[in-house]
Amino acid sequence: MELALETPHLRAVPAEPAPPPAVDASDSDLLVRVADRDRDAFELLYQRYVRSMFGLALRRLRDRQRAEDAVQETFAAVWRSAASYRPERGPAAPWLYAIARNAIVDRFRTQMDTTGEVPEIVAGDPGPADAAESSFVAWRVHRALEELPQREREVVELAYWSGFSQSEVAEYLHIPLGTVKTRTRSALARLADLLEGELT
Amino acid sequence: MTPRFEDLIEGDVTGAERARLEQMHELLVAAGAPPELSPRLESGPTLAMTLSKPHKPFGRRIALLAATVAILAAAFLVGYLAGNRGGGLASARTLTLTGTHAAPSALASLQILPSDTSGNWPMKLAATGLPKLGHKWYYEVFLVRHGKVYAPCGTFIAKGGGRGVNVTLNAPYELEPGDSWIVTRQHWGGHTAGTVVLRPTT
Repeated sequence: MELALETPHLRAVPAEPAPPPAVDASDSDLLVRVADRDRDAFELLYQRYVRSMFGLALRRLRDRQRAEDAVQETFAAVWRSAASYRPERGPAAPWLYAIARNAIVDRFRTQMDTTGEVPEIVAGDPGPADAAESSFVAWRVHRALEELPQREREVVELAYWSGFSQSEVAEYLHIPLGTVKTRTRSALARLADLLEGELT
Repeated sequence: MTPRFEDLIEGDVTGAERARLEQMHELLVAAGAPPELSPRLESGPTLAMTLSKPHKPFGRRIALLAATVAILAAAFLVGYLAGNRGGGLASARTLTLTGTHAAPSALASLQILPSDTSGNWPMKLAATGLPKLGHKWYYEVFLVRHGKVYAPCGTFIAKGGGRGVNVTLNAPYELEPGDSWIVTRQHWGGHTAGTVVLRPTT
């Protein structure tokens, strides 16, 4: 940034700005660019992961405000630590999951320190291993949902989380029942492709 | 109510493909609905997220330290010369701001006028290309010092649709060489700087 001070000043010659990342750039590519302080890549990564990170934080902290804070801290940590990510060691999703989990655990500890509340463990609740497993499943599924085309994602959301029958989905979207079924099948197949080898 | 797989996928899908789709169905049921984002999270990454210093290898830290010392020495020299010329911040100056990813068509100039006798620094912002924001949203100008958001300098809204904005703002703070400004998108009730829409050209 240059201020028009009427004084002599040193001026760094800015490097040629990198072109914005492609919308379909991989998460690994984006992280590598974030390590080089690429804000566009950071924004794209944010858009891809904010919902799944918020879901993860909300499951664990059970408080929207604290979950929001944990998400903010997570992305600050991603910005800070992106240079430590090594693409040759594996995909970006588990690395990001670890960053998010650490931020959430920190927030969880703060919550316990300030309130003195020990989380109540109810008989029948999943143990830590099961909880971690289900959290990771939800994390990856929610992230994969972001990859679906809008028309496929909406039939999934209406069918699974709005309680709509297939006929009701068709009526709601003003499309034939056969189209709803085709899109649902396509969505499930696409999810299977996206999650192949990670959860199955 | 959880949908039944048999109601979603017809009987013509069989064998391994059916098993594969059913597994995804079970994962969706297990994952549950993704949460609704608050306006704060929906609005994108904040400047605060990108202000934290990156972790650098130790060797690079020493090089950075040496570079920092050199820059500080140069900054001191510039400040010393400015002070001795009697100009410095007393004279008007203009910054050019360009739109970020959040407002790629935006462009603005921010003219910092000489301070009044009370120490107010009036400034004139002329911006184009800022989109009209929704209900409960507005733009805010922030003073940035040493790479961090330092203080607010005023708020405004834009009509969008190619119409420009001309507003007069004020920085009631003692300004320093190196101070800069950004414009953010804010939601009512937000207490921190939101998504940056305009930042100084480098």
